[in-house]
Amino acid sequence: MVIFVHRPVRAGTMRKGTVMTQRGTGRSGAPVVSFEQVSKVYGHVRAVDGLSLDLRQGETVAFLGPNGAGKSTSLDMLLALRKPTSGRIRVFDADPYAGVKSGRIGAMLQSGGLMTTVTVRELVGLAAKVHPRPLPVDETLKRAGIADIADRRVDKLSGGQTQRVRFALAIVGDSDLIVLDEPTAAMDVESRQMFWANMHAEVAEGRTLLFATHYLEEADQAADRVLVINKGRLLADGTPAEIKQRAGAKRISFRLDAVDEAFLLGLPALVNLEIRRDLIHLQSSDSDRTLYALLDAGYRPHEIEVSSLGLEQAFLAITAEDDKKAAVDEREKETVR
Amino acid sequence: MTGTLTLARLEVLRVLRNKRYLLFTIGLPVVLYLMISRQGSGSTAYHVQFAAYYMVAMASIGAFSGALTGNAQRISQERKDGWIRQLRITALPASGYVTAKIIASMVTSVPSIVVVLALGRFYGDVHLAPWKWIAIALAIWLGSMTFASLAVAIGYRFMPDTVQPITMFVYLGMSVLGGLWFALGGTMQKIGQVLPTYQITRIGTDVISQGTIPMGRVAIILAWLAGFIVLAAWSVRSTVEKI
Repeated sequence: MVIFVHRPVRAGTMRKGTVMTQRGTGRSGAPVVSFEQVSKVYGHVRAVDGLSLDLRQGETVAFLGPNGAGKSTSLDMLLALRKPTSGRIRVFDADPYAGVKSGRIGAMLQSGGLMTTVTVRELVGLAAKVHPRPLPVDETLKRAGIADIADRRVDKLSGGQTQRVRFALAIVGDSDLIVLDEPTAAMDVESRQMFWANMHAEVAEGRTLLFATHYLEEADQAADRVLVINKGRLLADGTPAEIKQRAGAKRISFRLDAVDEAFLLGLPALVNLEIRRDLIHLQSSDSDRTLYALLDAGYRPHEIEVSSLGLEQAFLAITAEDDKKAAVDEREKETVR
Repeated sequence: MTGTLTLARLEVLRVLRNKRYLLFTIGLPVVLYLMISRQGSGSTAYHVQFAAYYMVAMASIGAFSGALTGNAQRISQERKDGWIRQLRITALPASGYVTAKIIASMVTSVPSIVVVLALGRFYGDVHLAPWKWIAIALAIWLGSMTFASLAVAIGYRFMPDTVQPITMFVYLGMSVLGGLWFALGGTMQKIGQVLPTYQITRIGTDVISQGTIPMGRVAIILAWLAGFIVLAAWSVRSTVEKI
């Protein structure tokens, strides 16, 4: 059963209420970032497989996918740390290396280490000196919420504090694109909230933000566009609401003694079906229609529950379906052989 | 360039904050010089008085061990920690990190050279014409760049726990066979004279005894320098996707 239609949904290109400034684009209308059929192969593994996407100026985009989906590899290529095996990446209408070295990209990596035996202020000061359009160091310290630990040594900080210092390095200059890989990992709830408050202030200035995350509620709340990636391929592209809807916005559960699988598969608006003996779980993009069709056919299920899917479940549904399809493809290949 | 220089300045500060580094580059040569230089008084080595040979040898060992062991370990650790990766996603030029390391290494080797030469002058009673002091200091100083390049090659290529034994092995081989612990003779000298450490020391002693700069020895050091630079460039390039 085909669950997910591979039709990208274009999200709004601007956050509501943002002041549009003339930043970001190389020539007018050109995307801030574009991936054209980008692949990265390590030996026999296709970490990224024909990935195509465009980011427009002012968007806040979440990059969502399970571990090993190819998020970090994609970000690495965007930041010129790795070269694509094939395909083309453009950043501000130039190659990624030029984008990084011109200071137009501010980035924070999950794996980015920091210099040891220096103070936070010394480190941020260094980053400011390196940037072609730096902000005042005190301003950066304040924005990243690390003014109070400016004189502490970098190697004596807690995980959350270290993460904020990394963030400071990403916003140390006036960059047009901010790329964050799992920015709030290792942060407690309070720091996470503070982090996003600061981040919203950054993007309100018209910057484009791309972030990878494991926290799905974070993508839901912070992003105005979500890219779902699995096995190196783009599975979905849309607003959080659209993603939820595409994956089947509602989950319907009930018990039914005489199960007719073929009939259930034919239900309208059905997105996913799971049968465990008499217990049926299904996902639907229109729960009312699905349920009425079931009842109209004369079925009388009991213990009916209808619940909303969070982005997390939507995301799991999308990737699970993709995994299932891949397994089927694999089996077909085996049969052909 | 300002970014690279700022990084170099910070690197110097870090080295000076590291007590272990100061102990090995300044403390060890100074203590050895105080203990041993007078024991050989009256004897000569490489055609100069023992206190003069030992001064050149100790200044060399401080400069070269600082350039090699400290740098290789740091670079390897910083590669593992992801600091090099972090720098690569900034506007710092691609060569900035290595350039800053070498500049910092050159700056931080100055104190150990100056301190040991001053010790030679005032404790070892070595009297030389001003240009000879300058020539000896420059030979050791520029010679230590050879080992800063080797440190880059090792640091980029190996993980920190492997770097430790490798640098220790190179340090011992280069210092013992290079005649930095004691002057070499016979077979040992025939083996040792291919090494840059030996040649750096002999430039020093030749300047003292003959009053000329032996260009043949300079050429051997330059050959090592060129070789290590190629090795370093290869290490950096071949790990570019593994940073």
